[in-house]
Parts: sequence; structure tokens; C-alpha cells
Amino acid sequence: MQNFEQYNSIITTGVYGSAIALILIGLYAVLIKKHLIKIVIGLSIIDAGVHLLFVAIGYIKGGTAPIFSPGNEDAVNKMVDPVPQALVLTAIVIGFAVTAVALSLVIRLYKHHNTARIDQIKSLKW
Amino acid sequence: MVISPVHYIAVPLLAAFTIPLLSKYIHKELARIVPGIVLLYSVFVSIVLMMQVSEVGVISEKIAGWSAPWGINLMFTPFSGFLASLMSVVGFLIWLYSYNFKKIEQSQSQKYHILQMMMVTGAIGIVLTGDIFNLFVFMEITAITAYSLTSFYRERDGAEAGFKYLLIGSFASVMILLAVMILYTQLGTLNMAEIAQNAHLIPTPLRATILVLFLVGFGIEAEMFPLNGWAPDAYSQSPGPIGAAFAGIVVKAGVYALIRVIFTLFDIHGAYDFLIYGGLITMIIAETAAVAQTNLKRMLAYSSIGQMGFVLIAFGIGTKTAIIGALFLMFNHAVIKSLLFMSGSYLTYNSLNKKISALAGLGKKLPIVSLLFGLGAFAIVGLPPFSGFWSKLYVLTAAADQNMLLLIMAILAVSIIEIIYYFRVVSTLYYGKQEDEEIKVQKPSINAMVSMLILGATIIVVGVYPDIITHFLNNAADMLLDKASYIQAVLTQNIN
Repeated sequence: MQNFEQYNSIITTGVYGSAIALILIGLYAVLIKKHLIKIVIGLSIIDAGVHLLFVAIGYIKGGTAPIFSPGNEDAVNKMVDPVPQALVLTAIVIGFAVTAVALSLVIRLYKHHNTARIDQIKSLKW
Repeated sequence: MVISPVHYIAVPLLAAFTIPLLSKYIHKELARIVPGIVLLYSVFVSIVLMMQVSEVGVISEKIAGWSAPWGINLMFTPFSGFLASLMSVVGFLIWLYSYNFKKIEQSQSQKYHILQMMMVTGAIGIVLTGDIFNLFVFMEITAITAYSLTSFYRERDGAEAGFKYLLIGSFASVMILLAVMILYTQLGTLNMAEIAQNAHLIPTPLRATILVLFLVGFGIEAEMFPLNGWAPDAYSQSPGPIGAAFAGIVVKAGVYALIRVIFTLFDIHGAYDFLIYGGLITMIIAETAAVAQTNLKRMLAYSSIGQMGFVLIAFGIGTKTAIIGALFLMFNHAVIKSLLFMSGSYLTYNSLNKKISALAGLGKKLPIVSLLFGLGAFAIVGLPPFSGFWSKLYVLTAAADQNMLLLIMAILAVSIIEIIYYFRVVSTLYYGKQEDEEIKVQKPSINAMVSMLILGATIIVVGVYPDIITHFLNNAADMLLDKASYIQAVLTQNIN
């Protein structure tokens, strides 16, 4: 049992740590990288990090799915919070839409300027 | 049929899904006509609800029967209702204007009108919703349609402006999402009224973190300095009517979200000062930058940023007069800046390039459009017979009541800068030397003309009889300042 507890806390730290790491990696890609596709990938990575963080806060150790079923009525205290999961689903869809628009803009930019490097696209003042 | 606030959201969403089918199987023109009908219906809903709300006080709508703290609710208060009505009217006029717009005609008009309708819907949703995550979702609907509309013209640098906007906008959405998440971990609720009720339970450092995340996120949409890098490019590269939509609808929604977070969710005193300073810096920098612009649309964009700074200052003063002034400014800015963008895009369309100097002599070729542009310019700098004067007067009176003399000086100094660059354009229009006689003038279509004349008439009528509008503004300001009644209205609705 002792071992199990330790194992669990490592997982929790790992989840939060990797969520923050994902956000930082994504920020790095968006801010430093010059290639448009890499910037879009960076945006998706940031999104993934935030989503992971979101799911992690709703998690309960040894929790069950938030569904009432016969013979399982006393499970209220063990149910994981369904709201963050619902929010993450919505956020994933939004992230998908933003990525799609971003990629279509990248294609447009590439056709227009014949390059996908952000430092070579300078028609407008940045 | 009972008219309820949910019609603002449900009808356009339904229409957006059916339009592609209708235009494919029934008639191609439906893709252009249906959004107009939907927006006209929104205007009708606004009129009905505004009449109801002046009797009832607050109209709240529970979605899918889940009552307030658990489900999502739409709140049509005098404050949010005023903004929603403003947005639907401006949205309809923009549709009317762009119905026969030459350059949209040439590209795929089907997508344009659906996107424009969804942009208005998203902005109205931001204003009406009572749920913080729902607000985020509507913010994203508005933002995604705005990105696509910014890059609508393939031949311009729209894609670049759109991508820049998208980068900044995604950053904003991450900030808002993080803020919502931290809020949820602390309070376990997403309902704005319940958050407002329990906000004092959050430890101060965390509360400040949430507030800063929200300020950055919504500040980007509200064009607050230094988060407004996207605005000049997006305004100048997007189709002309969309510039009007940004100024009249999208930015208003951003300001609303900012104000809702500061006034209702977190009643922190430092935040009001922050609004004043942030607004002041935004206003001074943007108006100074506007003088240096040679491109008409960029100039209007910077002027729009400056006006938003002014609105933030007015909200930051925080007294009732100031809030009436701020709402009046938002109304004026929506009407006047839309008129300026609409008439300005016909003016630039008929010049060789988009430079202000190329507009010389158009005053004779396009007399009515130039006259309307001049009317807008006079109104926005705040000359007495027009509506812009009253809003400035309200804000200055409020500032004088609070003995903020330096602020008054700054506002007046900025007004002089505004006069300089707007009158430069107007004088170029009428007294500038024509360089090229050969330009074939593209006259505006009738519906564009009607739409611009309605806006122009509004400016004059409200300028002469400001009482028409101040009655609504008065109720709206009361509602915004009375946080307790908002909370009560949301949380007790499940009884009846």
C-alpha cells in the first residue's frame, strides 16, 4: 500500500509537471521558431498542455466515472469531476478549429510569398 | 411564439448550418440573403426584448432547463441588452452595406456572409452569457470568424494580417482558458454570478493572477496597449465592411468582457486605476500613431484603438456619470466608426492606392460619400451638433467631478490631435489637387447608400436629441454598478 501511494504521487507530479513542460515547450516554439508550421505546432502543444492541466485538476485518486448505476449509488464521493472533462472536450474542438484556420493561412502565405519563414514575410510592418 | 434571448444564438447557428445546403440545392443567392434575414430577425428580437426589459428589469434564460449555478444561462439586462441590440443593428447594417459590395461579389460571397453573421452572433453571445466558460467559447467563435474574414481577400496581404491576429488571439485564448481553470479549482463553479458572490474567498495572490490572466486575454480583443499589435493590420487588410464590424462589434465584445470581469467578478480597487492608466497610454500612443499614418484604413484603425482607450478611461473613473459616458462612447464609436469605415472604403476603392493623398478631389466625384465621411469625422472628434460631443461631455464632466484635472487635460490634448488628422483627410477630399483625371468612379450601390445614410441620420438625430439614448444608458449604468442585483437575478431565477 505504501508503495502504491508513492507511485500515485509520482504520477500526479508527473502529470502536472508534464503539462507545464508542454506549455513551456509550446511557448518556446511560438516565440523562437521562424518556420510557420513549427509555430502552428507550438500553438497546438500549448493547447495540449492546458488541456492536460485541466483534466488533471478534475482527477480523484481511485475515482470512478461520474455515472449513477444500480448497486453503485454510494460512489458519489469517488466520482471524478465531469465538468473539466466537458470543458476540455470543448477546448479541444476549438483548438482543432484554430489549428485548421492557422494551417490554411500558412498555405495561403506560402503561395503568396513562396516561403514559409516568418522572417522573410515582411509586407506589413511587424 | 415567445421571444427569448436564446434566439440571438440559436437562429444564426441553425442558419449557418443550413445555408450551404440551401444555396446548393435551392438557389445560390440564398447564401447572401439568409444571413441578412437572420440579422434582421436579431434586430427584431432586440426591439422586443428591450421593450420587455424596461418593464421587467432583467430577462434571464436557462438553457435546456438547467437552472443558474449548474447550467448555462443567458442574461438580458439593460446593460448587456443595450450592447446586444447595438451589435445586432450594426451587424445588420454591415450586411446591408456589403450585400452588393463589389469586391466581395468577385470572390466567394457565400462564405463571407455566413462568417459575418457568425461574427455578430459570437459577439452577442459574449455579451449575453452568464457563464465564464461559455464566454470563452463565444470569444473563440468571434475570433475564428475574425481570422478568416481578415484574410478574406486573396490578393492582398490579408493572410499575413490574419496569421498575426491568429497568433496573438490564440495567446489570448490560452490566457483566458488558464484563468478559467484556476477559477474553477478555487470555487468549483463557472457561473459568473456565483463567482462574483464568492470571489472574496480566493486567496489574494491567486485572485491577482486570475485577474492578470483575464486582463491580458480580454485586453488583446479590446485593443488595449501593448496588446493591440494585430489591430492596424487586421483593419487595413480585411474587406472594408469588416473593418466596420471589428470597430463596432468585435472590440465592443472584448471591452464588455474586460468590464464584466473587473466590475462584476473581481471588485478590486487597483483594477480601476489600472483601467485609467492602461486606457490613457493606449489612447495617447494610438492617436499619436494615427497622425503619422499615410494609409486611410490604418489611420482609422489607430483612431479606433485610441477611442477604445478612451472608453477604458471612462470605465476606470467608475462613477455613474462616467459609465453613462463610457456606454455612450461605445454607442457612438460603433455608429460613427462604422460609417467612417463604410464611406472610407468607397473612397479608397476609387483612389489609385490607399494613401490619404490619393483621395484628393474625390469630394466632387463622390459628393454624398464624402459628405458622410466628413460628418463622421466631425462627429468622432466631438463637434457640438453631433452625437460624439455628448459622450465626450459626459466623460469630461465625470472626470471633473473626481478632480482629475490631468486626465481632462490629456483627453482634450488628444482631441486636438484627433482633429488634426481627421480634418487633414477631409480637407484633402475637398480642397486637394487632383492628380489624375482618368479614374473611373465606382458609385456605391443603393443598399450601401441606405446603410450609410441610416448611420449618418443616427449621428445627427442622437446629436440633437441625446435623450433618446441616455434613458437606456442610465438603466444600463445602474445595472452595471449594482453587482448585488445581478447576482440575485441570476441565482434566484430557479424559483419561478
